[in-house]
Amino acid sequence: MAAVKRLKRVAALQPGFISFKSSAESDDLNSGRRKRVNKNKKKNWNKHSDIQDVEEFLDDVRLQERATGGLISEKPDDSLFFVDIGEQKKSVLPEVQERKKGKKSKSRPLRIDLILQHDSLVPPPKDVLAYQQPNAKKLRRIAENAEKLAAMGVLPRRQKRLLNRRPATKTSKAKTAANNFPDRPYYDLWGGEAKETADPYYLEQTGKRRVKRPEKLNAKPSILPAVEVIAPGGSYNPDFFSHQALLLEAHEVEVTRERAELRIERQLAVKREDTATEETVFQELVEGLVEEEEEEEDDVVSIRGGLQQEKKTEKERKRERADKIKSQQKQAARVFTDKKQQLFQLRSIQATLKRREQRTRERVAQRKANQEAEKSMPRRLGRLKFQAQDLEIQLSDEIPGSLRTLKPEGSVLKDRFKSMQKRNMIEPRERAKFKRRHKVKYVEKRAFREIT
Amino acid sequence: MGGLQKKKYERGSATNYITRNKARKKLQLSLADFRRLCILKGIYPHEPKHKKKVNKGSTAPRTFYLLKDIRFLLHEPIVRKFREYKVFVRKLRKAYGKAEWTAVERLRDNKPGYKLDHIIKERYPTFIDALRDIDDALSMCFLFSTFARTGKCHVQTITLCRRLTVEWMNYVVTSRSLRKVFISIKGIYYQAEVLGQLITWLVPYQFAHDHPTDVDYRVMATFTEMYTTLFGFINFRLYQTLNLVYPPKLDSKAESELKAEHEEDYAMDSESYLEKLSALSASLARVVATAEEEEENQLDQFPADGEDLENMEAREKEQKEQEAQNRLFEGLKFFLNREVPRESLAFILRCFGAEVSWDKSLCIGGTYNVTDETITHQIVDRPDIDKQYINRYYIQPQWVFDSVNAKMRLPVEDYFLGVTLPPHLSPFVEEKDGDYVPPEKLKLMALQRGEKHEEEEDDDDDDDDEEYNDEVDDEDLTEEKNLKKMEDQRSQGKQTLAVKVTPGKVKPWETGSVGNKVRLEKEEKAEEKRLAIMMMKKKEKYLYDKIMFGKKRTTREANKLAAKRKAHEDTSKAEKKQKKAKKQ
Repeated sequence: MAAVKRLKRVAALQPGFISFKSSAESDDLNSGRRKRVNKNKKKNWNKHSDIQDVEEFLDDVRLQERATGGLISEKPDDSLFFVDIGEQKKSVLPEVQERKKGKKSKSRPLRIDLILQHDSLVPPPKDVLAYQQPNAKKLRRIAENAEKLAAMGVLPRRQKRLLNRRPATKTSKAKTAANNFPDRPYYDLWGGEAKETADPYYLEQTGKRRVKRPEKLNAKPSILPAVEVIAPGGSYNPDFFSHQALLLEAHEVEVTRERAELRIERQLAVKREDTATEETVFQELVEGLVEEEEEEEDDVVSIRGGLQQEKKTEKERKRERADKIKSQQKQAARVFTDKKQQLFQLRSIQATLKRREQRTRERVAQRKANQEAEKSMPRRLGRLKFQAQDLEIQLSDEIPGSLRTLKPEGSVLKDRFKSMQKRNMIEPRERAKFKRRHKVKYVEKRAFREIT
Repeated sequence: MGGLQKKKYERGSATNYITRNKARKKLQLSLADFRRLCILKGIYPHEPKHKKKVNKGSTAPRTFYLLKDIRFLLHEPIVRKFREYKVFVRKLRKAYGKAEWTAVERLRDNKPGYKLDHIIKERYPTFIDALRDIDDALSMCFLFSTFARTGKCHVQTITLCRRLTVEWMNYVVTSRSLRKVFISIKGIYYQAEVLGQLITWLVPYQFAHDHPTDVDYRVMATFTEMYTTLFGFINFRLYQTLNLVYPPKLDSKAESELKAEHEEDYAMDSESYLEKLSALSASLARVVATAEEEEENQLDQFPADGEDLENMEAREKEQKEQEAQNRLFEGLKFFLNREVPRESLAFILRCFGAEVSWDKSLCIGGTYNVTDETITHQIVDRPDIDKQYINRYYIQPQWVFDSVNAKMRLPVEDYFLGVTLPPHLSPFVEEKDGDYVPPEKLKLMALQRGEKHEEEEDDDDDDDDEEYNDEVDDEDLTEEKNLKKMEDQRSQGKQTLAVKVTPGKVKPWETGSVGNKVRLEKEEKAEEKRLAIMMMKKKEKYLYDKIMFGKKRTTREANKLAAKRKAHEDTSKAEKKQKKAKKQ
C-alpha cells in the first residue's frame, strides 16, 4: 500500500504524467504492517528501503516508450483520440479485401520473421564509436604520404615483398592419366638424353636414377617366334596336299589322345581273375569251416653259425699262405700275358676305342640337339603342364569356295594366350573354381506352397 | 673333424631361386598385382634344373623365380603405386559403404595412376630393340581393337588399340613396306619389312569372336597395357622417320575432298576423324611438304671390305625388285564391292599404290562411285553381277592377295567372276630344292621368271562347257610339262649326265646355234662335276654320298607326292567328265 502511495507520489512529482497501468488492483494487495528496521546500518538501507515505487514508475516510463514511442502525457491529443462519427461506408472495403486476399498470400511475411521482428518503438542506441575515427589525422597523413610515393613510383614494402616472392611452383599433383586413355600423347622416348653430372651414388640412393636392368633379363625365355604362322594347309583355299598334310597331323594328335584315354580305361577295367566264379564264391562261404591241415615244415636251422670255428693249425696256415701267393703269381702272369697279347690285338682295341669315341660324340651331339630342342619347348612352370590348343582345321567339306563364305576357325585370343604360355612368359593356370562355403538350402516359400 | 656342420639348402641352386609366394610376400603385393608387375617388367618364371634341390627336398610342382630378378623388382617405383592403389580401393569401398558421396568423389579425383614410359625405356634401350619385339604388340592391339564393347575389357583400351592400329596401317601404307599376306582360316597374316626388320602379325576377322572362357582376360589386359605404351612410342618414332605429322593428319587436299563430298551424312568432325583415317583412302600430311622425286633417291653404294662385287650386285638386284614390287598396283583404280573385306583389301591395295574406293554407304572415305569410267578393277565376291561395265575387270579378292605374294600382277583370267579359284598358297613356306612343290606354285614361279603363260585362250563363241574342258586340258598339259621339267632339273642336279630330250614340243633353246651353245655349256659343266666327284677323298666321298642319298630320298618322296597328285587330278577329272556326261 505504501508502495502504491509512493508511486503515486513519484508520478505526481512528474508534471502531467499519465500512468500506463491502472494501479487500482494493487491497492489492497500490499496491506500489512510496516516493518520497523534500524536504519543505522548501511546494509539495512539497502535491504529495507522500499524502492519499488520508483522502479515501477521507471518501468512504466520504459513501457510507454517501447509501446508508443514516447510518454503518453507528451503526446498530442490527435494521436490519442479520434472523433467517433458513426459507421464508415463499407462499400469500398470488400473489394480492397478481395484484392488484398490475392496479394496477401504472396506478400505476407513469414511468421518466424514476425516473431523475430524488432517490436520496440524505441530506436536502438547509436554506436558512438562507429562514427568516431581514432587518429584520423594521422591516418590521413599516412594516406597522403602513400599517394605521394605512389605518384613517384615507389612501392610500399609489403607490396615489394610480394612481388619479390618466388612464383609458387605447381605443387598440385599432376594427375597421371590412365594408361589406356585413348587420346594419350606420345613422344620420342628414344630421343637424346641429357647427361647427368651428379654423383651416381647420390642419384641412386635418392631414387633419382633407376637401378640398371641386368642384361640377362632381356633374353627371351623361348626362341619361338611371337607369331607362328599356320601351316599352308590352314589357308582358306588350301592346296589339296598341304590340306591333307594338316589333316593328317590333326588326325595323329587325335589318335594319341584317344590312345591315352583308352589306356586309362584299360587300367581301370576289372581284371578277369578278379571276377567271382562259383568256386570262389563257395570258397568264401566255407571259409573257416573246413580245417585245412598244413604240414609244418621243420626249419633246418643251421647249426654252423652257432658253433665256433675251429682253430687252424700251423700247417693249414702255411698251406693257405702258399696257395695265396701262388694264385697271386698266377694272376700276375696272366696279366702280363694279356698285355703281351694286346700288342697283337692293337687293331681291335683301336676299333673299340674308336667305337667308344664315336658313341660319346654321338651322345654329345644328341644331348646338344636335345638342349636346343628344349629351348623351344614349353617348360614346366607351375602345377599344370602346358597343353597345346586344338589344331585349327577345316574338314574337306567345310572349305569355303570364296572369301565371303569363310567361317573363321578357332579364336585368335586363345591363340595369343596359348602362344604366351608356350613361350614361357606366363605359367599355365586354370580358372579358380568357385567354392561354395555353405550348402544351398532349398526352401519352398509359403505363398508357393499354398498354390500347389 | 673340425668346422661347422654344413646345412642343407643353404648354398647352391636352392639360394638362387625363390618361390612365387615368397616373392610376393617380399614385395608385399597381392598375387594379381605381382603377376601384373612381372608382366610389365618382363620377368618370367624359371624352371630350375634340379627342382628337388631348389624346392628343399619337396617335389611339389611350384613356380620359381630367380632371386636376383625379384631383388631387382624391389627397386621399381611402380610397386609403390600398386600399394597406393590398394589403399585407394579400400578407402573407396569404405566411403561407398558409408554412402559418403562427397568422399567418393574426392577419392575418385585423386585416383592414383602410373606411367609405363620408364619401363619401356628400360626394357628396350634402343628403338631397334623395341621394333624387334613389336610382333606381339601388333597382334594384341589388332585383336583388342576388334573386341565388342561388352565390358570384357575397358572401352578405353579398345579405342586406344584401334587408334594405334590405324596409325600403324597408315604408316605401312605410306612407307609401302608390306611384303606378304596370307588368308588363313584363323585370321589374316601380314608381313612387313620396317627398317630392315621383318614384322609378322595376325589380324582376326571382324565379328569372329566367341569369347573363350579359359583365357585369363586380366593377364591379356596387362599385356595390352604394356604393348599399347610400347606401340605408341614406336609409332611416334616411325612417323618421325617419314617426316609425317604425329598424331596422323590427313593431307589437306584429301581432307577437303572428303569434307566436300558428304559432310552432313556423318557424325561430328572430331568423331569421324579416326574413321576417316582408318578408311586409308587418303594420304597423310607431312611435316615438311616434300616433292615426289625425293622418293626416288638412289642409295650410294660403297662395297664393304668383306663383300665382293657379286654380293653387291645381288643386293642391288634385290633392291630393284623390291621397288618394282612396291609399285605393283600403281596406276590401277579399284572399286570394292560391299561383300568383300574392305579394311584388309583397302590396306593392301593402298600399300602398293593403287587407288581404292567403295560404296558411300559402306564406309566413310570413298572417293569415287561405281559409275566412274576410269575404274580398272572391281573386286567382287559373288557368283554373278547384273550390270557390268565393259572396260573393267571383275575379279575375286584372292587375286589381290596372290598378286602381292607373287610380287607381280597375276593374269586376271583365273580370278574372274564365278570361276573356281586356284588354291591360295602360303607365302611363308620356303621350299628347299628337292622338296615337293605344288604345281600351282611351279606355275607361279615360271610366271615370275617371265615365261609366257602357255595356254592360248581362244575367245571363240564355242559352247561354254567345251571351252572349259579345253582350258582344263591345257592346264593339265602345262602342269605335266612343268612336272617333267622339274624332274629334268632334278636329275640334272643329281646325276649330271643325262639331258633328257622330251619328245613333244621343240623348245626354243634346243634349236639353232644358241640352243647348241647352251647345251654344250651344260654338258661341260656336268663333265666337270663328274670329274670332281672322281677326285674326291674317301672321307669326303662318304659325306657326299650321304648328302646325295638324303637328296635322293627327298626327291623320291616329292615324286611320289607328285604322282599322287596326278592320280588325284585324273580321278577328279574323270568324275567331272562323268558328271558332264550325265548332265548331257
